[in-house]
Amino acid sequence: MSAERIELHAREHGSFLDEVHSFEFWFQSVEGYLHGRPHGLGPDAPRPALEPERHAALVETLSTYCVGEVAALEGSGALIALAPDRRAKIFLATQAVDEARHLEVLLERLRELGIADPDAVFEARAHPSLLRFRARLAELVAAKDWIAAVFAQNVVLESMEFAAFHAHLRTADPRTAELLAGVLKDERRHIGFGENLLGRHFAADPGGRVRLRPLRQELDALVLASFDETLLRLGTPASERPAVGRLYLETIARLGLAA
Amino acid sequence: MADAKSAYSIQRWLESCPQGYLMDTEYGHDPGAREPSIFLESPVLREEAIGTTVQLVVGERAALAASSGLINAAPDAASKAFLATQTLDEARHVEIFTQRLFDLGVRPDELESTIARHANPHLVRFAEVLLEKVDEKDFVAGVVGQNIVLEGLAFSTFEMMQAAHRESNPKFAKTLAGTIADERRHVGFGENRIGTLIREEPMRRPEIERMQKEMAYHMLATLADRFRGQAAAMQEARRLLQEQASREGAVRTRQEWHGTDLSSADPGELEAVLAETVLAEFKTRLTRIGLEYQSPQRP
Repeated sequence: MSAERIELHAREHGSFLDEVHSFEFWFQSVEGYLHGRPHGLGPDAPRPALEPERHAALVETLSTYCVGEVAALEGSGALIALAPDRRAKIFLATQAVDEARHLEVLLERLRELGIADPDAVFEARAHPSLLRFRARLAELVAAKDWIAAVFAQNVVLESMEFAAFHAHLRTADPRTAELLAGVLKDERRHIGFGENLLGRHFAADPGGRVRLRPLRQELDALVLASFDETLLRLGTPASERPAVGRLYLETIARLGLAA
Repeated sequence: MADAKSAYSIQRWLESCPQGYLMDTEYGHDPGAREPSIFLESPVLREEAIGTTVQLVVGERAALAASSGLINAAPDAASKAFLATQTLDEARHVEIFTQRLFDLGVRPDELESTIARHANPHLVRFAEVLLEKVDEKDFVAGVVGQNIVLEGLAFSTFEMMQAAHRESNPKFAKTLAGTIADERRHVGFGENRIGTLIREEPMRRPEIERMQKEMAYHMLATLADRFRGQAAAMQEARRLLQEQASREGAVRTRQEWHGTDLSSADPGELEAVLAETVLAEFKTRLTRIGLEYQSPQRP
């Protein structure tokens, strides 16, 4: 960890948020891993040929990921109107671009895999649990429930993506792995925003956890159902699948929302 | 559509904006650049700069709310992607103009009260008219209001301000140059994407034209308030800048913008050239997308 990073965390909290929830910070964060890497891939990224079964599984999985990214893009865009301050609005604007970029690189990978118009077909190929999750997030946003919507999006959805992409990296072809590695770097920032915001909220209102528990249980079911099928398709060994679910559940537990 | 997808992609935006004209900038200006001391030391110039910058923050906050609110209403992935880049552009503009207020000595704890004190009520209403359409998830009206009317106003205003500040405040002029490049892209998207949708829904024209007329009225009223209401302060600010230039032995050159010398024109002439430029742009762009410009009552 750099001295600069340590200094950042030693600051007064408001000043820290001014720094990390800014366009400037976002650009410094992403520039290192996006510069010279169109669609998240370096010029030397390999183009492996995939066996038909593996190819089909990858198309299904990336289609499910696209639904998650559209949900996050629509969610982060809509949450800007609910955000209580300038810092949160600016952070969510950076997240909207991150999510749009993820969607774009996933659609581009689907095109490489021979899907002529992936925008038109990814929803039909995606896991139904994630489609339900997307609809539920939209309901929370429409109800203007800022805390619940941030929990659903920046903690549950982002943690789920983080755990799923992390597991996928272990079995992915090198081209897909390179793309996912860039996406994962963004997800860490998004989870950090959610954890920081909800941590402060629960410190001020410990009863807030009680209110979110039923929502957490409802969303867990959708997330874990989506995990099971995705990991099976990706060929993740059965012995390793519980660990992926645990990675997701640990993030939720850090906020004191364990079942 | 494939070309449009590429032109408005995140990848194109990354390469042209953050990795292009914003490279090696800090809050949109050269690293370490400062507001000229005269803007901080003269109460008249400082107050005028704060009053002007507040209008920019109000406009950019509206643009951020509108572009982010339209993502959900966009009918396709390419439009959602473009609006995401626009959302971050507008957030950046909020950030850099807010930072300018801090650079001018506004304390963070007095930011909102400063904005409330200086925000022009007609500009606030202009934004409300637009945001009503966004709240209704009306994509076509929202994009016309945001990317043609609001961005058209911002584009010409920033151009004029940049021309006026090139010599007296290079830091602010550089900040404006980046926002002008952004606004040019936003206006282009509005024209390209909405023209098709308007042709598909011609029955929407009267309602959208009514919105344009109301927004144009509040825009003209904002300009009238700023230029006529602040005429004495603007003249004093200009006198101070000319005095400083004389003391430093600098020769102030003409600041030509659309045939008007911004360094010598009176506030009425400045209001007229800006209003006429913006309205001419509206007419051209609205015609391109199949709408007829509606003249509002003159304030």
